[in-house]
Order: sequence, then structure tokens, then C-alpha cells
Amino acid sequence: MQIPVVRNVLEANDKIAAEVRRELSSRGILALNLISSPGAGKTSLLERTLRDLGGEFRMAVIEGDLQTDNDARRVAATGAQAVQINTEGGCHLNSNLVLSAMERLDLAGLDILFIENVGNLVCPVEFDCGEDAKIAILSVAEGDDKPEKYPLLFNLARAMLLNKVDLLPHVEFDVARARAHATRLNRDLAVFEVSARDGSGLSAWYDWLRRMRAAKKAGEPLD
Amino acid sequence: MHEMSVALSLLELAEDAARGRGCSRLERVRVEYGALAGIMPEALRFCFEALTRGTAHEGARLELVCLPLRLRCPFCGTVFGGEGQEARWEPCPGCGEVAGHVVEQGKELLLRQVEAS
Repeated sequence: MQIPVVRNVLEANDKIAAEVRRELSSRGILALNLISSPGAGKTSLLERTLRDLGGEFRMAVIEGDLQTDNDARRVAATGAQAVQINTEGGCHLNSNLVLSAMERLDLAGLDILFIENVGNLVCPVEFDCGEDAKIAILSVAEGDDKPEKYPLLFNLARAMLLNKVDLLPHVEFDVARARAHATRLNRDLAVFEVSARDGSGLSAWYDWLRRMRAAKKAGEPLD
Repeated sequence: MHEMSVALSLLELAEDAARGRGCSRLERVRVEYGALAGIMPEALRFCFEALTRGTAHEGARLELVCLPLRLRCPFCGTVFGGEGQEARWEPCPGCGEVAGHVVEQGKELLLRQVEAS
């Protein structure tokens, strides 16, 4: 028997993502899904952000890694709530993992939830975790052609953090090329050149977070 | 590697569709995926076969159809594209604009037909 169907293959994931989004939105919590290759500095950027804005916002982190709770312990040391998910080999987080991690968080009074995805520029992009925005993180220790090689992330992200700019004198990374290709894929992409190590450029990233957070709290569309 | 998650979801949806018509064995499953959907056909086929082996669906055929990329220029309205992802980097053939092309088709991942008994 032939049965015609039109169903989105990832609809089970999308449905749970919608549930996550509803729950977080009803509480006015801004949710950001951080995606990068391994080693681009997601955890260091989070540590710095949590420390610098800790007096201003209540923030929590869902950490995704294949193994260990190293990252959750690192971000918990800043005083923020942290939950570790171990995917045991899985290459991405999905909405169901995020939903179960949320049950282990105290969401009351929370302003921002960061989801630190598994380090991988491909698979995490395909799975909606219920976030308000995806944040791409690229470091200048990598190739400046990453946006050309992995276009979907840069196409869907709302902001790109170009991290480790303190290393620019020592590496051959063409900032203009990376920027040009990323913004060619996504005209609305906000780009921040930062260093989690020496703190440069972070104030613009923080202002962007403040703006997004205010819009989310007011129930306005994020711009 | 995310093809395993995709294959699992796909199998659930296909079984669901078959059950809805009183069928229990999948014979053929047709999936359409966009050129930008991040799907490697060989990897998805490998996962689908691994998941169906030793089950009632063993030997079911997975048909994968790639939907070509279709972009629309927001400035002049020209629609262009191609089988691969290259058009993503090409200027609009109508007005030459290099940025901001809207993806009209290319990100889909759809179950379109199930043959079952």
C-alpha cells in the first residue's frame, strides 16, 4: 500500500523545542544556543560573561559535552547555576535533553539561559533546542574560511563572536574575510570581535545581551 | 553523525504512517531533503539500514531525493539556484547583489511517501 505523507522528519524535536520555548518565554527568560567548534572558547566566554554580568542578571548554563562535568564545574565556580548533559558520544544537544536539564534548574527569577552545545559546527545547527537565538563562536586560531565551509550556522545565527582577537598578531587570520563571508550569508548578523582572555570587545557583546534581554522581558521581537 | 538521530525520527514517523493504515511492515520510504539540510545520503542510508536490520522492516528501501537550492533576491526578485550549494556564493544573476538572498527551498527534510504491507 502506498501512503502519501508530508511530515517534517525532525518534527518530534521541533515539538519539544516549542514546548521549551513556551516555558522559557512565559517566564521572560532569554535563551541562547552557543555553537562553535571544539576549542573556540565557548566556556571561557561564558565564564567571563557570567562573572562580569553576575551582578546585573541571574543566569544559568546548560552544558553539553560527550563526557565529563568539567565545563559545568567551571561555570558553576562563577556562582551561576549549571547543569551538565553528557551525550555519551552524541554529536549535538536536542530539545529533549534541554527540557530534562531545565527540570534540574531553578528557573524562578532567571534572566538568561545559555545552552553551551557540543563543540561541532555541523550537527548542532540542525536541532532546534528551543532557543531565542543561536550564537556562532569562531576563534582566530581557526581558519578564516569557516563561514564558507560551514554556511548553515552563520546563516541561522543572530550573532557571531570572533574570539581570541588578542592572538591576531601571531596568527594568519583575515578578519575582513571571515566577516565578509559570514555577513554575506546573513545580512543581519551582529559581529563582535572579542577576547575572553583580556576582555577586549566584550562591552559591545554585553550591550547586545542587555538589549536582547530587555526585548525578551518586554515580550517584544528581538532585533 | 546526526544522521542516526534523523534516521530514528524518520523510522518512527514512517512506522506511525504505516500503522495508521493497518500495515506493519515498511517496504519503501521516500524522503526529500534540501541541498542545505546538512544530510549525507550515504550516512542516512547506512543508519536506516542499521536500525531496520533484524526487525520487521529489514530490507525496506530508503529513497532519498535532493531538492535543489532555490534562492530569491530580495532586491530584484530574481529566483536562482542549482543542485549543489554553490549558488549560495554567487551574485544575483538579475542585479548582481551578493548578499541577503532568501532561501526559498533547500532546508527541507521531509518524509513524503511510505509503502507498507
